[in-house]
Amino acid sequence: MNDRHEPKGWNPYIAGALTGLLLVLSVWAAGKYFGASTTFVRSAGFVESAFSAERVARMEYFIKELPKIDWQWMFVVGIFFGSLIASSTSRSFRWQAVPTMWEQRFGPGRLKRGIVAFFGGAVAMFGARLADG
Amino acid sequence: MIDLTYGLITGIIFGFLLQKARVIRYDKQLGALRLLDMTIVKYMFTTILVAMVGVYLLKDLGLVKLSIKTTSLGGNILGGLIFGIGWALFGYCPGTSLGALGEGRYDAAWGILGMLGGAALFAELYPLMKKTVLTWGNLGKITLPQVLGINHWIVIAAMVVLGLLMFWFFEKKGL
Repeated sequence: MNDRHEPKGWNPYIAGALTGLLLVLSVWAAGKYFGASTTFVRSAGFVESAFSAERVARMEYFIKELPKIDWQWMFVVGIFFGSLIASSTSRSFRWQAVPTMWEQRFGPGRLKRGIVAFFGGAVAMFGARLADG
Repeated sequence: MIDLTYGLITGIIFGFLLQKARVIRYDKQLGALRLLDMTIVKYMFTTILVAMVGVYLLKDLGLVKLSIKTTSLGGNILGGLIFGIGWALFGYCPGTSLGALGEGRYDAAWGILGMLGGAALFAELYPLMKKTVLTWGNLGKITLPQVLGINHWIVIAAMVVLGLLMFWFFEKKGL
C-alpha cells in the first residue's frame, strides 16, 4: 500500500533522459561507464581477505578484479545516499520489510521474504558475472 | 582520488534520479517483469537512447572512447537467463538494491548479502567457467554497426525509432 500522502514521482522519460545526460557527462569527464556488479566481486574479495588473504591473492578472479575501492565502488555507495536524500526530502522514505506486491501474493512473513531475497540475490549476481555485465 | 570523488557524486545523482522516477521499488521491477507496469522500461530505454546519441557524438568528435565488452554467446545467454531468475526472486537490480535500501526497503539488505555470496561463488567457479561456458560462441569485442557493416548513425536512428514506437505502444495501452 502506497502512502496516500506520498508525492507522485517524476515522469520516467524526463528522469531517464537526465540519467542519459549524466552518463554522457561521466564518460566525457571521467571516462567511466555505469556498472555495479563488479563492485560486489571486489567487496566479496574484501570479506574473504579478512579470513584468508593469501588464498584471495592467488585466486584468478580476484586478481582480475582486485579487492579495492575504485570509481564504481563509490558510485554504488553514492546510489544509496542519492536515494536516501531524494526519499527523505520528499516524504517517500518508508521502512518496509516486505514489499507490497510480495505481501499480497505471499503474505507478510519477513523470514520467507528474506530467504528468497538472499537466494535470488545470489543467483542474480552469479548470472550477472557470467554474462560479464 | 579524483576518480573516487567523481564516482561518489555520479552515484548520488544517479540514486537521486532513480528514486525520483520511482523505478527502484520491488513493485515496479516485478510490475515490469509481469508486464503490468512499464515505468522502468520507459526510464531505462530513454537513458539508453540519450546516452547512445551523446556518447557516439563525443566519440565522433574524438573526445571519448567506447568501452566494448566481449560477446560470449555462452556467457551472455546463460548468464542472462540465470540473472533473470535471480532478479525476479530478489526484485531489485544489483545497483538499484542499494537505492532500495536508501528509501527504506530493507528487504534489499538480504539480497545484498546474497549478491556477495553469489560473487564469491562465481570467483570460485571462474577458472571452470573460463574453460567452458565463456568459450562457447566467443565473438570477441564486436558492435552492431561493425557486424552489419553499416554506419553507426543508421543503427542509432533505427534504435531511436524502435524506442519511440515502443513508448507509443506503452502509452496507448496505459502501461
